[in-house]
Amino acid sequence: MNTQALALTILLLPLAGGGLLAGRGWRMPRVVTQIVGPGVVWAAFAVTLYLFFTQSSGDFTYWTWIKSGSFELPFNLLVDNLSLFMCLVITGVGALIVTYSVGYMAHEDGPSYARFFTYMDVFIFSMLLLVLAGNFVFLIIGWALVGLSSYFLIGFWYQRRSAVLAARKAFVMNVIGDVGMILGAFVLFVTYHALTYRQVFGSLGTQFCGACISPSQVRHASDSGSLELAAFLLLVGAVAKSAQLPLHTWLPDAMEGPTPVSALIHAATMVTAGVYLVGRMHPIYDVAVYAHDAVAIIGAVTALFAATIAIVQTDIKRVLAYSTMSQIGYMFLAVGIGAYSAGFFHLLSHAFFKALLFMAAGNVIHAMHDEQDMRKYGGLWRQLRPTSIMFLIGCLSLVGVIPFVGFFSKEQILGAAFSRPGNLGLAVWGVGAVTALITGFYTGRMWWMSFAGKPSAERPVAHPHEAPPVMLIPVGILAVLATVGGLLQTHVLGFGTSAVSDYLDKVVTPQSWEGGAIDVVIGLTTMVLATLLFLGAYRIYVTQSWRPWTARFPRVQRTLERKYYFDELYNAVFVRSMDKLADAGYRDVEAPVLDGGLDRTGATARRAASYASLLQTGYFRNYTLVFVAGVVIVAVLLLARFAS
Amino acid sequence: MGTLDIGGSQMDTSWFLLLGAILFTLGTVGVLVRRNPLIILISIELMLNAVNLTLVAFSRQLQNMEGQLFALMTMTVAAAEAVVGLAILVDIFRARDLEDIDDLSELKG
Repeated sequence: MNTQALALTILLLPLAGGGLLAGRGWRMPRVVTQIVGPGVVWAAFAVTLYLFFTQSSGDFTYWTWIKSGSFELPFNLLVDNLSLFMCLVITGVGALIVTYSVGYMAHEDGPSYARFFTYMDVFIFSMLLLVLAGNFVFLIIGWALVGLSSYFLIGFWYQRRSAVLAARKAFVMNVIGDVGMILGAFVLFVTYHALTYRQVFGSLGTQFCGACISPSQVRHASDSGSLELAAFLLLVGAVAKSAQLPLHTWLPDAMEGPTPVSALIHAATMVTAGVYLVGRMHPIYDVAVYAHDAVAIIGAVTALFAATIAIVQTDIKRVLAYSTMSQIGYMFLAVGIGAYSAGFFHLLSHAFFKALLFMAAGNVIHAMHDEQDMRKYGGLWRQLRPTSIMFLIGCLSLVGVIPFVGFFSKEQILGAAFSRPGNLGLAVWGVGAVTALITGFYTGRMWWMSFAGKPSAERPVAHPHEAPPVMLIPVGILAVLATVGGLLQTHVLGFGTSAVSDYLDKVVTPQSWEGGAIDVVIGLTTMVLATLLFLGAYRIYVTQSWRPWTARFPRVQRTLERKYYFDELYNAVFVRSMDKLADAGYRDVEAPVLDGGLDRTGATARRAASYASLLQTGYFRNYTLVFVAGVVIVAVLLLARFAS
Repeated sequence: MGTLDIGGSQMDTSWFLLLGAILFTLGTVGVLVRRNPLIILISIELMLNAVNLTLVAFSRQLQNMEGQLFALMTMTVAAAEAVVGLAILVDIFRARDLEDIDDLSELKG
């Protein structure tokens, strides 16, 4: 089979699965859903692997979608190292999570069960469209479709009011980003009169080497003003989708969705689309230096901001959600300073360990009968041994402990930031390093509170049961990947391979500076400090031999628990002012003008009709008389005309 | 004005037209002033036949058969109209004791 057809197959497999389940799923036996739902994702993964190992690449045009005068928009897919890398993450991690859902969603009744897998498959399709699209229009279509699938899945339990509200919030936030994306695409279109990557990046002076976009030879574009504007507008889209400041408030609420959804969409794939976007648009960001710096600054600030909130959250999924925001902040930081491949390696490693953490947390929540409050866990280590071990692996990877994958990816980012010439690198390195320490602390708090110590008195289940194999095996596979994944990229320690960087540097701009031995020393120091904080949390939250810091700073604790009052601020500024505007609109425009106007029109018509109805006497003779009179008049007129 | 031939003797067409006009007027006045529905129907027949008379008279004068064909057509239509009208009347008579067509004024505005 040729690459062109296979690339389309990757897209169509999940779409076909979703379509089948949407149409017939609820009538077919459950086992069909259980096979088709994950099956199509595994099949897409197999095709992606084939393309990966055959080193396929190309920009394939399937048909012309819009043709208007000299403007032509094809439906084309861009297969290169970056899109294949993303496809591997989406279909690989996605297949594991969808398989896990077979067990996690087992309590749902037939129609809901099929609905869940429909949404999941449609999401995978949308995400693949997003990363494979070869032009801005289909990028935006994929971008909007993942937002839509995310909306469906957050609001999956639609009987729950909080879930519906969270879904709506996520959708609205994402639409803000979509508008940014669309405006950005407009700016590029106005500037270059083209919407395909090939043409736009070609106009930027990037070599488009037949199939793949080669590292750009940056030249000073004369129209850097409009490029900056486009880059900032695209950044709005990236920030909204990736839950970065200031469009982040939807992600913690999105935890209302089922846990596999949180693992797939709100940790491993969709929320990293912003990182992909900046990476894909690297020819633009390489020229638009201000927007590029903004990416790094937003990433660094969000990383620190989210990590501090995670310290005080008590809902296990919310801790993971803030940790996700924080880790995506690292990725933004990396792509923002120009260390693209480091950012994407962290994307990969984060997909491993955060999906692992979410799914292991899902096992715990399952065993605890949907209780998500960590204060009500405690002592799970004895009873849920396999899940506990896997959760610990995820935690250590998140903290960045050797030899787990998180260490290599995080240290590569921090090393790149530290050694980057200029003040910006040093500044974001400082923020990133502090964040790494906080990460150690909140991860330790989460781990010790949930699994160590004595069982909480409020625990809903005294003797919890471990999850079934269909849920344990995917988590186990991710645990293995999170343990050994670092072997792909050990050169941060100064030796070994850099497979991921070598693979990605063929398409994105390679990091233009080199780190030294000092990076390794600083990286290891950060790791040791973070690990110490991880262990220190034990003394605060389990043995309680140390006084918790929150006792000393109650006001800080309060601010963190209220998440820096962002929701309150947005409510006051946007929601309430909108409510007021809507109220005023109803009171002053709709009620008097629209409703009143219509009422008056109706009343006038009725009054006119009441006069006109006087003509309707109901007497036959009156009607006849009028008729005869009419005939006479017509006859007289005709006669008068012919007589003259 | 023209003349027409009746059994060999010539006669002025105007007389026929005058008779038709008188009959038509009588019919019209009947429809307008009478209250008994049956009489109204009969008056309508009278009007139709007045028109028939005119048609036949002209047909005779112009030696053209089309007028007589039209008269036949009118009779057919009149028969159909009488059937429908009488059927409606019978139905109304069954439903209520109707003397005066003015009693049928439910559609008064």
